[in-house]
Amino acid sequence: MSEADKQFNIHDYLREYLFPHFLCPGCGHGIALRALLWAIDELDIDKDRLAFVSGIGCSGRLGAYIDANTFHVTHGRPLAFATGLKLARPDLEVIVITGDGDCLAIGGNHLIHACRRNLNITCMMLNNEVYGMTGGQVSPTTSDDRFTTTTPYGNHEPVFDACALAEAAGAGLVGREITLQTPSLKDVLKQGLAHPGFSFIEVMSDCTEVFGRKNDLGSSAEMVLTQKASVRPDFLENAVDQPFRPHQIKTGILASNDRPEYAESYRNHIDAMKRDHGHA
Amino acid sequence: MAESMPSRAPRRTDKTPPAPAIQVAEKPVNVLVVGVGGQGVIMVSKVLATLCQRQGYQVKQSEVHGMAKRGGSVFSHVRFGETVYSPTIPLGEADVLVALEWAEGLRWLSYLKPETGIFIADTQQIVPPFACRNRQHGAGSGYARETVADVIAQVANCYAINAGQIAQELGNSKAGNTMLLGMMSTTLDFPADDWREAIRMFAPPKAIDINMQAFERGRDWVETHDPADLDPNQGGDQPAPIVEVMHEAEFELPVINRAWCKRCDICVKFCPERCLSLDEEQIAVLHAPEKCTLCRICERLCPDFAIDLKYKH
Repeated sequence: MSEADKQFNIHDYLREYLFPHFLCPGCGHGIALRALLWAIDELDIDKDRLAFVSGIGCSGRLGAYIDANTFHVTHGRPLAFATGLKLARPDLEVIVITGDGDCLAIGGNHLIHACRRNLNITCMMLNNEVYGMTGGQVSPTTSDDRFTTTTPYGNHEPVFDACALAEAAGAGLVGREITLQTPSLKDVLKQGLAHPGFSFIEVMSDCTEVFGRKNDLGSSAEMVLTQKASVRPDFLENAVDQPFRPHQIKTGILASNDRPEYAESYRNHIDAMKRDHGHA
Repeated sequence: MAESMPSRAPRRTDKTPPAPAIQVAEKPVNVLVVGVGGQGVIMVSKVLATLCQRQGYQVKQSEVHGMAKRGGSVFSHVRFGETVYSPTIPLGEADVLVALEWAEGLRWLSYLKPETGIFIADTQQIVPPFACRNRQHGAGSGYARETVADVIAQVANCYAINAGQIAQELGNSKAGNTMLLGMMSTTLDFPADDWREAIRMFAPPKAIDINMQAFERGRDWVETHDPADLDPNQGGDQPAPIVEVMHEAEFELPVINRAWCKRCDICVKFCPERCLSLDEEQIAVLHAPEKCTLCRICERLCPDFAIDLKYKH
């Protein structure tokens, strides 16, 4: 444990007058928020340089609890707002907090284009497999045969693999971790924040009150333990797939590339144009 | 069994010579080497097996080093004689039991021949994690309680010495196994130079000198030792060494913010020491502060930021 680690006090980063927060008992989003703030503390980023953009949903509300520059925007559009923000103010550290429905369903289009542009934005997607705030509707990441208010006979839509999508769309760094492994989650987020391109981090959260209750998945402690049992960390990448456990979650840093960052190449291009036309 | 072997090694009382060396007869001689992974059990048995082979005997050796990652139990059976059939030693048939660690020696004591067996042990303790269930300062461990005195009462010949410590004084605690080889060399009837030659083959080149010194120390110790001089209080359950645990000094006990706790039970379920519980209002409380090891798991897993461990500095 480093000295900075010991001195990290989460209360330096919270708007305490808004607490206790609105999340249900046992919701994993709080743990993910702690991991994100812990990663920021380790990187020692000035609070005035931090800009959090969040959409709608349980995850979207997290931005409000952070004592920094926060921007609560329309449903599915945090990445679009963040793109504009980063292009206008490249000095800011732009972090997007979004949920599975917000990012993959309503904002799916914005996600693929944000990955394609490869702007220096960190996108933390909290995946709890359901639209929790609006009453428990099915989301693109709801697993097979799970009950939600809109799938009373079980869900049969195939599950969206968000990390595979982000990797294919060209994101600079793609990672995934579960909330129970808080120090590892912090490390993954830290790498995402430090990466110069677009980083997409999927956090496997748990929705105990809506999704867990409807599917009889037990308390939040049981839910996170089930999740942990299905994890296959990246350092076991070469291990043989276990034949009787097909639903394995790959965690860790899943992909990274060093494509040029868009804001920088855009500015270089403009400078070159200005020189060519004699405006510089 | 083994007519040519002494029916009962005379217990040395005064300055009588050490227990007569075991003679190889038609029946094979059985040597059991046990210890903890990383101590050199396999090295000892290799030295012995090579030596016996060079003396013209048939040797069979079999080992279990499945726990060879450091800290696991390791044993090796070495049998040599004119003809050896089985590679393993039956219960109660070992002529010599070489234990590189005290509790491992006790674990295998029943393999020793009741009348003539020679027990050569290092009294150093490597406390296994399962014996350390109480993690408080200075707490006793669940380590074996038998002392050297208890073992002397049970075996025919007992040589017990803290070889690990002596080897450390010589410069490398890993040479403790060679010291035990030196002690064993007096019980088997092979020339000392052949022993040295075999050790040279297996000791790392850098450590040959220290291994030779340890071998001589082991031989000398047996020549001069008197069973009455054995420290009878060695071995046994000694309190765990007091180690300054980093966060015990640097953090205060967890403080639970009752206004923010949402009764989700995560901290209670994941506390490794089970010192948290829910009170009558279903809010988390630290009911056993004396058990808390300040591991900070509750702080990290509280989704409501309701638990804090204050850093003292």
